Amino acid sequence: MGNKSSLLLREEEIAQIQEETGFTPNQIERLYSRFTALDKNDCGTLSREDFLRIPELAINPLSERIVHSFFAESHDDRVNFLQFMRVLSHFRPIRKNRENRLNSRDEKLRFAFSMYDLDNDGKISRDELLAILHMMVGVNISEEQLTSIAERTIIEADTNNDQMISFEEFCRALERTDVEQKMSIRFLN
Amino acid sequence: MALMVSFVSVAVSILYTPFLLLILCVIFLASIGKSLGVRRLYVNILLKLFEYGRQHIEVAKKLQRTDSSDEEETPVVDDNKPPSATIKENGVNGTKTSVIERQEILGPSPELNYKRSASQERVHNGHTTDPGKLETNLEFHLHHCMDLVRAGMESIIEDQVTSVFEAEELRSWNLLTRTNRQYEFLTWRLTIIWAMGFVVRYFFLLPLRILIFVIGVWWLIVCTACVGTLPDGNLKQRVNNALSVVCFNFLSRCISAVITYHNSDHKPRSGICVANHTSPIDVLVLMCDSCYSLIGQRHNGFLGLLQRALARASPHIWFERSEVKDRHAVARRLKEHISVPDNPPILIFPEGTCINNTSVMQFKKGSFEVGGTIYPVAIKYDPRFGDAFWNSSRYGMLHYLLNMMTSWAIVCDVWYLPAMHREAGEGAVDFANRVKAVIARRGGLVDLMWDGQLKRMKAKKEWRELQQEEFSKRLKGE
Repeated sequence: MGNKSSLLLREEEIAQIQEETGFTPNQIERLYSRFTALDKNDCGTLSREDFLRIPELAINPLSERIVHSFFAESHDDRVNFLQFMRVLSHFRPIRKNRENRLNSRDEKLRFAFSMYDLDNDGKISRDELLAILHMMVGVNISEEQLTSIAERTIIEADTNNDQMISFEEFCRALERTDVEQKMSIRFLN
Repeated sequence: MALMVSFVSVAVSILYTPFLLLILCVIFLASIGKSLGVRRLYVNILLKLFEYGRQHIEVAKKLQRTDSSDEEETPVVDDNKPPSATIKENGVNGTKTSVIERQEILGPSPELNYKRSASQERVHNGHTTDPGKLETNLEFHLHHCMDLVRAGMESIIEDQVTSVFEAEELRSWNLLTRTNRQYEFLTWRLTIIWAMGFVVRYFFLLPLRILIFVIGVWWLIVCTACVGTLPDGNLKQRVNNALSVVCFNFLSRCISAVITYHNSDHKPRSGICVANHTSPIDVLVLMCDSCYSLIGQRHNGFLGLLQRALARASPHIWFERSEVKDRHAVARRLKEHISVPDNPPILIFPEGTCINNTSVMQFKKGSFEVGGTIYPVAIKYDPRFGDAFWNSSRYGMLHYLLNMMTSWAIVCDVWYLPAMHREAGEGAVDFANRVKAVIARRGGLVDLMWDGQLKRMKAKKEWRELQQEEFSKRLKGE
């Protein structure tokens, strides 16, 4: 992807994105026009401010984590279109009989896990869980209650008694949750 | 070269007389309030042209796609419905097309958060809330973050607000470069049609329209000056009403406005008239049918000239820049104006800013606190003929006017709605929302709870705190 955003994607770029993410060319074009609409300075990449300019996202309690997930692979604190699409592809609905590379149940769970895992060390500690809870409830629930919630959640999920939740423990805790439905966005047309 | 010059001079001398006659004809017709029907015929011809263009584009695109990779799923193309059908559909979203199915939309008032799966989450949380018990009722599970994350991702793909401050996307191209987001060369036929359209718009229509504009403004100033010499009273008001309609009708021809008024029996005679705001052209559109008093900030330059001219003939409310923030002063002058029965109705745009005509944003409560009768009016522009929306961050006023005069036409529908009063015990905000809902339903616009000032300001921190509160309630199982 070049640095200058052009109004059109070249066919090879569309093919590459389709190959990697599984979106149809139609969807890719629509998402590209959304990407360019968000790119107010017309530089071909998005910054965190560009994301947070969306009011619905700005008032979302987990906005920081969501925006951060786009920048996980970025080196210069900007997101290009391919990175943008890669993250969004985690939310594609799972298709039976087709290859689901980035949007399998496992990938979706990994994405949800990364929401909690602030320092990216592969484990959710009690403090990380507490931080997320703080983001979600603000000042509406007392510190003691939040701490007890965090501790209880860890105790319930932790099987190897290391006071942290690893990815496997996370998956096991979410065995009975319909992850496919909760972490999927259906495209019309 | 000399041949060209002589050719042009011959052409001018031949065309001079009929051209002048044409202008006089237009003036005459405008003065008696009649129309030859030329504009409607023109609009109908354009519609046929767009339909042809649309089918042509679809065919061309299908050909392109079939020789590239085959798609995962064949998209269900709902474009078999002609654009005119979707435009006439009121009460639904008009021409707005959604990309994804939204499950949850967070909004500034969380009790109005749109949730597709109604209140399943709340009820699901099991424990019956016993007001005595507190802490042990908090059911948190690791999957609770998923709803918020998905809502966030949905809003990144498509949200209600950011699109509203940009020009509306058309379902099919209307042969204006400015509306073609993804301009790609498709076929020679299309490009030729576009080129012909370009020539017609810029070299035939534009000079004509500029001429009409200049004459129209001059005529308006002259008329208002004449009316201004009359002594204040009923006669002056009546003369002004008649003359202003004539002047504005003439001016409306400079953008080839084809306006259809519905339910004229509800036309406001006094009180306050509120309408959704898309551009300064709204004023023109409404004043072609009836005389209104305007309210706004005093400007300098050309706009100031018009303001002063209008103020000579009829009572308008123009504020100094400093007074604008003083809400009491505004309310006081509004009350003064509507207390005089002869005064024309005041035209107010409660959104406070221009929106792109797909949605209606939050109404400011100021005009709904004053008392008096509110006459809602819904204005819906047909986006196929020209985009009336003024994106003030992108185009200055002059550039915008140029865009208007080089569009095909401005076609719109105006619906006059029955008068509304504030009910006993109803707050101004609720009343404003009630009026907004009525306007949105009639015009086929999306009713948004968001503040129009989001065009320039960031989302307020309180809204986020309200969402956090909402989530805590969910945890507590309330």
